Amino acid sequence: MSRRTALCAAAAFLVVAVLVAAFVGAADLNPLATAAALIDKAAPFLHLPTSLDPLDKAVLFQIRLPRVVLGALVGALLALAGAGYQGVFRNPLVDSGMLGASAGAGLGATLAIVYLGGAGPQVVPVAAFVGSLAGVAVAYATGAAASRHTVLSDGVATLLLAGIAVGSFLTAVQTFVLQRSASDIQAVYSWLLGSLSAASWQQVTTILPYAAVSSAILLLHGRHLDVLAVGDEEARALGLRPGLTRAIVVAASALAAASAVAVSGLIGFVGIVIPHIARRLAGPAYTGVLPLSLLIGAGFLVLADTLARTVLSPAELPIGVVTAFVGAPAFVWVLRGTRHVGT
Amino acid sequence: MTDLAAVDVTVTLDRSPVVKGVSCAVKGGGWLALIGPNGAGKSTLIRAMAGLVPYGGTITLDALDAKAMRGKERARTLAYVPQEPTLPPDLTVEQYVMLGRTPHLGYLATPGRRDRERVLAAMTRLDVTQFAKRRLARLSGGERQRAVLARALAGDPRALLLDEPTSMLDVGHEQQVLDLVDELRRDAGLTVVSTLHDLTVAGQYADTLVLLDGGRVVASGAPRTVLTAPLIESVYAARVNVITGSDGHPVVAPVRRPSPELHDQP
Amino acid sequence: MNTPLRLAAFAAAAAACATALAACGASASSTTPASTTTPASRTTSSAGSQAGAASATAAFPVTVKAGNGEVTLKSYPTRIVSLSATATEDLYAVGAGSQVVAVDQQSDYPAGVPKTSLSGLTPNIEAIAKYNPSLVIASQDSGGLVAGMTKLGIPVLIEPAVATIAAAYAQIEQVGQATGHAAKAVTVATGMQRQIAANVKQAGASHQGLTYYWELSANPFYSAASSTFIGQVVGLFGLKNIADKASKPSDGGYPQVSQEYIVTARPQIIFLADNQPADGGQSPAIVAKRPGWSGIPAVQHDEVIGLNDDIASRWGPRLPELVGEIAQAVEQASK
Repeated sequence: MSRRTALCAAAAFLVVAVLVAAFVGAADLNPLATAAALIDKAAPFLHLPTSLDPLDKAVLFQIRLPRVVLGALVGALLALAGAGYQGVFRNPLVDSGMLGASAGAGLGATLAIVYLGGAGPQVVPVAAFVGSLAGVAVAYATGAAASRHTVLSDGVATLLLAGIAVGSFLTAVQTFVLQRSASDIQAVYSWLLGSLSAASWQQVTTILPYAAVSSAILLLHGRHLDVLAVGDEEARALGLRPGLTRAIVVAASALAAASAVAVSGLIGFVGIVIPHIARRLAGPAYTGVLPLSLLIGAGFLVLADTLARTVLSPAELPIGVVTAFVGAPAFVWVLRGTRHVGT
Repeated sequence: MTDLAAVDVTVTLDRSPVVKGVSCAVKGGGWLALIGPNGAGKSTLIRAMAGLVPYGGTITLDALDAKAMRGKERARTLAYVPQEPTLPPDLTVEQYVMLGRTPHLGYLATPGRRDRERVLAAMTRLDVTQFAKRRLARLSGGERQRAVLARALAGDPRALLLDEPTSMLDVGHEQQVLDLVDELRRDAGLTVVSTLHDLTVAGQYADTLVLLDGGRVVASGAPRTVLTAPLIESVYAARVNVITGSDGHPVVAPVRRPSPELHDQP
Repeated sequence: MNTPLRLAAFAAAAAACATALAACGASASSTTPASTTTPASRTTSSAGSQAGAASATAAFPVTVKAGNGEVTLKSYPTRIVSLSATATEDLYAVGAGSQVVAVDQQSDYPAGVPKTSLSGLTPNIEAIAKYNPSLVIASQDSGGLVAGMTKLGIPVLIEPAVATIAAAYAQIEQVGQATGHAAKAVTVATGMQRQIAANVKQAGASHQGLTYYWELSANPFYSAASSTFIGQVVGLFGLKNIADKASKPSDGGYPQVSQEYIVTARPQIIFLADNQPADGGQSPAIVAKRPGWSGIPAVQHDEVIGLNDDIASRWGPRLPELVGEIAQAVEQASK
């Protein structure tokens, strides 16, 4: 499929997902009334009569829509971050939570829930965001310091290993903290499993700047990632600075992942599977994989969240469970079709 | 047409010196071949010329110190092709050759019309246009080699640095590639520096040979003066005969040690 | 009320109660309501039980049927360890406070209880044994507590969370029997009953038109349906619980709900059992500001009640206080 076709298809997929999500939910809103209310909001000059009463309108515009928008943002950011990491590490098995990003967020959230529970519900997202970035910073510094003593081409492997080591350590600390405070276990695990149930327009506006900056940086470095694909040495011979490119892309991916994780908890599989789907559709060039991942990731998470909040309505499945259920078989399917492992 | 000169170049890798004070030069449009046994420092020297390893001494391009050049500037002048290039298997030939335009693109720029023209020209030159949309994994060895050269050419370099460009090719494909490089050299005035392990082939295509051993220059000059039996025998620890081929170039023929007589066995 | 259980309690302590009642009656007036228990009144009740000490010890050995089956206490327990906040409140209410040597980290009422770092959720057998207890009371058998205590020959009473209000009274009476304060326990239970009945009478028992939402936690939102203990407490006033429709047999009466569900159910009263910082910090002010909630009747008419999370999550002698808070909310909402 040509890149243009793929992008159009992905955009259409996102639009459909958003529409489905807007019309479906625990509150049984009349579809026609919902449609009228949405159109009226988008095009107020049409003066459409709204038959939704104020409370139902509040449910639609204050509870459901921000959740849909947040889901799209989070999905886009996780998929972009995953694609960014995959490009930097030239490894298709890399997820957006690598380099200690997920482990750092988990530890941050755990510390906030256990020790700062009284400070209000705003503390956890901030702690998770800071923890995520800190995790990546430590992993990157550790990996960079270690790889100064190895041959250039091993720099990438060293970074990955440093990420695994740092991630394991942070997770161990998190488990230790949790074991000492058994009464917080449910709260922490609820957060860890991922959920968009606290979505609000305020959360959307809070992460929007970080989302915009990190997405812009990543999308603008697609060409650089493509050059990196031929290896550090050849890339340098072509005039690229691999170390600098890696640092920028890792930083942007870390920022994207941290912003997403702060509001949604840990959601797996999006960062690793969506870029693969993008690759299957339009080839391995990152100039295509990055924007495609953004669109497909957004649509995928919106659908996954819709499923999460309707399958057992009004109870909600943790969204991480839904993405795993859908993502794992999808991943197997993608692997079977991929003939060559590696960039 | 870029003159390339190396003056007293030293390269140390992992605390051991690999290139020890090598000096050589090639005029614009000339072909310099680096020969020598395994581990003599040929690849390392070429990598130093490409600016990929730190080195002591001076390397000049048109009398300008290469160290003073910025990475991108050097990339626009020199195209480096390693011994085993990394070929992302799912990239199409066209996308791969486009990577060769990287030195000419601004940081946030995307390829434009001129870039696409140069890529098409390079692919045409190397006769790979019919594979433009095909994935690299689906090409034969020789086709891949041509795609790699097309990428090198797409950047409009003034000099080509080729590290063992034909070690994986059979004799027919080897000649094809080297003939092509020679053509490019003469048509576009490209300066060529290459390492070649086959001494005869090196003597046929290069106008200057530099024989390296243990990181030092043992001999340098026209093929006739460098490819002599005593020199080769001492450097390679091999037994050879050097004869003159029908085209006037020296041919290095290995000589086998006489085998033990059968009736001497119990 | 559940008379068979009360009759059983009477029968077991009949002889002791005859004499104890006289002394207990003198101290009963100064120990109800249980929420105002101060060290002074504790002294009173122990003075009262001094008079009944002889009859208290005469009640042993006693066998009670606790959550872990039949447990026999051979003699008056002088060193009691409580691993349950509710059990701690029960113990002090029935007059066994002077016998308590250690309580778990969650037990914080009444003031001045000997709080330790023991945990009721993850009990450490050795740590408990260090207190040389003659009786251990817990609300769940976790970490092999019963097995461990049995090995050490220490009697354990598992007094789990109750399912009905009657069971709450029965549990208090059982604690009284096991600690030699059976008569006092009965008095406490009776007092609770009376107070609750008075509250219900004042606020009225038939408010079927009023709907309520009981919040146990936010994000994820967990509620208590009317089949639960807390649901029954609120049910005394006849209110309708919006979580009932969401409850399935598998959730044990504690369904998970979503914001859309809560808002469209339009509850007229919202009870928050998670408003203290340690439990989630969802104060009425924060709840009122939740996006999309401003149109809910409870928010519009300022009927979002932040309960004392401790009282709302226990089933001990302070239950009448909880009922009182609920009664107040009901009265206000029905104006």
